[in-house]
Amino acid sequence: MNQHLTEQQLIDYQFKLADEAALDEARSHLEQCEPCRRRLQTLVRKFAALDLLREEIQVPADLLAQTVANAVRPRGIGILPMCRRAIWALQGVVFHGRDARDTHGQEAHATVGKPSQSRPSRVIQLYRVPALGAVAAAVIVGFALLLVSDSGRHKRILPTESYEQPAQKAVSAPSLADSYVFEKDELRSADMDSLRRAELAPRAETGRVGLAPPELASAPAGNVKAESPVRGGPATSGEGVSPLRVAGVPPALRGQDTLDTKSKAGTASPQTPDGVTTSALDVARMAQAREIAEKPPFAPASAIELVVLPRRQDVQLTIYNGADLTLVRERRHLTLKRGWNWLQFMWANTLIDPTSLSLEPLEHRDAVQVQQLVFPPRLRELGRWLIRSEIDGQVPFELTYFTSGLAWRAFYMGTLSQDEKTMRLESYVRVNNHSGEDYENAQTRLVVGRVHLLDQVAELAKRQYAYGSPVPPDVWDVMTHGRVKKEAANRLGSDRDLVSGAFADSVEPKEIRKEGLSEYFLYTIEGTETIPNQWGKRLLSFEADEIPVVSLYKYDEERWGAQAVRFLSFANDEDHKLGATPLPDGAVRIYGRAGEGGHLSYVGAMDVKYIPVGAEIELNLGPARLVEVKPVLMDVRTENHTFDTKGEVSGCDEVQTWKIETANASSLPVDIEVTRRLGTPYWTLKPADAAVTYEKHDATHARFKLTIASHSKRVFEYTVTTYHGVRQGALPNAN
Amino acid sequence: MDGLDESLVAAHLQGDPGAFRELVRRYGDGVLGYLCRMTGNRDQAEDLFQETFTKVHEKAPSFRGGSFKSWLYTIATRVSIDTLRRRRRMAFLSLSRQTDGDDDPPALAELADPDAADPVDELVKEEQKEQVRRAIAALPAGQRAALILSYYQQLSYAEVAEALGCSVGAVKTQMSRALAKLAQSLPDSVDVIP
Repeated sequence: MNQHLTEQQLIDYQFKLADEAALDEARSHLEQCEPCRRRLQTLVRKFAALDLLREEIQVPADLLAQTVANAVRPRGIGILPMCRRAIWALQGVVFHGRDARDTHGQEAHATVGKPSQSRPSRVIQLYRVPALGAVAAAVIVGFALLLVSDSGRHKRILPTESYEQPAQKAVSAPSLADSYVFEKDELRSADMDSLRRAELAPRAETGRVGLAPPELASAPAGNVKAESPVRGGPATSGEGVSPLRVAGVPPALRGQDTLDTKSKAGTASPQTPDGVTTSALDVARMAQAREIAEKPPFAPASAIELVVLPRRQDVQLTIYNGADLTLVRERRHLTLKRGWNWLQFMWANTLIDPTSLSLEPLEHRDAVQVQQLVFPPRLRELGRWLIRSEIDGQVPFELTYFTSGLAWRAFYMGTLSQDEKTMRLESYVRVNNHSGEDYENAQTRLVVGRVHLLDQVAELAKRQYAYGSPVPPDVWDVMTHGRVKKEAANRLGSDRDLVSGAFADSVEPKEIRKEGLSEYFLYTIEGTETIPNQWGKRLLSFEADEIPVVSLYKYDEERWGAQAVRFLSFANDEDHKLGATPLPDGAVRIYGRAGEGGHLSYVGAMDVKYIPVGAEIELNLGPARLVEVKPVLMDVRTENHTFDTKGEVSGCDEVQTWKIETANASSLPVDIEVTRRLGTPYWTLKPADAAVTYEKHDATHARFKLTIASHSKRVFEYTVTTYHGVRQGALPNAN
Repeated sequence: MDGLDESLVAAHLQGDPGAFRELVRRYGDGVLGYLCRMTGNRDQAEDLFQETFTKVHEKAPSFRGGSFKSWLYTIATRVSIDTLRRRRRMAFLSLSRQTDGDDDPPALAELADPDAADPVDELVKEEQKEQVRRAIAALPAGQRAALILSYYQQLSYAEVAEALGCSVGAVKTQMSRALAKLAQSLPDSVDVIP
């Protein structure tokens, strides 16, 4: 008997992985060898475990429908696919010769399933024919320049993959020899670098060898290269000192992407010792170097870094007034290098919530992936994103986060007409910024509504590390709040609101558009606003003229003491020339016009809650100075006593007589409501004067309504009878 | 080429919306199963499933014959391998399809069901499944793809070779290496309950 079969031979036999001769040999051995048969059975039982995962998996109907819907969604057709096909065609002609049809045509498919008959693609190994290689490379680069110079105007990036039949592919093992067999992806890389080389040709003459653009030497490859501030236009206030910064940082491990420059540095001589021409070697090495390493680089955690600062392109603030919460969405253009890029974000001395940070590319989403956000130890208020990019070039990103310290509040100014029957109402919005960050040219949106927050953003912002232990509050106060308050006091004085309207650029009044959300109401301020840190800004929201109002005086000792109080009421509806939007919380100040000149005089003010469309508003303007009410008890007695069987009082009626003296010292007649508490629900009331009417306000209160002429007094009396004990049953139904 | 596949692809290229739907329906279960086993995560597999068929839709004009099934699995393989490479941060995810952690207790309703299988057996079976998933997940991507396509998706070695873009010999080599590794890592004895 031959030697026992190895485990590998048993596996190959069981799964028919060996050739026929080896299978026959194993079969004959197994027929004679009991130990090998047992080992084979053991292996079979072991591999039976694979069947545990053989469960049927079915596509849910909704997934199927969604897949079909997504797939058939129309997409744009660019010039790039056509360019790629042209490149493939050229590739086939130049490198594959007559086999091109095998790799791209139907003949290749005719051999599928018949490997023994298949004819492998014939590959010309260019390193063995230097002259041909040089010519081929020159043709490729030239053709690529032609194509990319046109397509680059539309889109510099070629991220889409092509899925050709496997038989269409050339051999692609990553050996040096094979690196001269250009696959389509490598050719695309050549396109990109050819373009870049062409763009940077003048600098290449200065002696720096290789294809990397000069800025790569100063900002190492693999970094996010921010748009140069020089290109960003004139400097603005706060530029360069903004606490919120996005910056590219050099990678801690430079072995990844610096391979680019290192490999390219070796292309100085026009011809290598092997005799391969520089152009072919360039392209081939470039294709190798431009493969993105699968393993992301380790996060740089050093405290000393060299950064560049991309400017904020635009920013949108969504400020909630129901909570100390603002959603910031800003857009910055970042220049990415193909490969792994580190992006540093700093927010020192601001109040942003680092746990809410989000970064998304706005374009080329398939080619750019934001993979990690790391918070290096020992470094305060700093995070670093790891971005994998398959493209070179500038990509717009949207950065979103929550911050506290930005707030807005509405306030209203009402001016009564001379007869106090109409009012002009002006609504303003005041935005205050104490977030620690200047927001320049921000599109500002204001949201009315309640927000449920699990954590206060201001508290989150105080943490030393985004997810670590919070800094003790006293430390934070010293570090930020104390300084902020001091700065505020130095710059603005103690009253922050005094700075409202002090902006030089507020020339034209801005319109504030309103739109409803499902649970909130959104006000969008027209255009953009610059809101520096520690500043406030007042904007006109709306104004309405000749709003009908009702002025009413009320007297109720239980609620406001022994004084009349003035109320002004109207409704947020079309009849009152309002009703377009809800009115957010805010302070309302009412002014009247006094004297012949119509000078404004302060009448009163109050804070109002959120007023929905259609709701009535009643403003309490405070105690009335010109209207007085004085109740006087004129008489009191008890009568109709009843006694129980023991001779004790079981019930009686109490009769009180009141005189109400009212006086109106103003120049206009006034309506007044006098509410009287009766102390029991068992009562009857009778005015002495039939001209005076009252209504039962509730079980224990009666309300008199009367009008008092200007500069006059009015007195009326009433008698109220209250029933106690068993006399409660004597209450007439008239009440 | 399967005559029906050929006619479906042709109809799809001529704008028949039902043809593409039929292609998805015909191969959907297989592709989803393949992606589930490749990724070990149902949610991710469903995402890749959509991406795969989106690519199929886009690239259908470049399909010039041959086995549609192999071409389809070529796309699915590339999509899954690309995604696994790009999202290596997701590699720590459990291969458990339900992604239930060790701390998650079994559903009380399931335990209370008198017709349900013995919870101890279920637990053992789940543990064995987990071992198999881990063993497969530990394979290099190429070996894993070859194994899944051949063993679970029941593709012939020639079809696998076509799908993976390599020779039949290379597929057999990958399979042989994969199975040798699995022989070391799979549990010794398993009662496979259908």
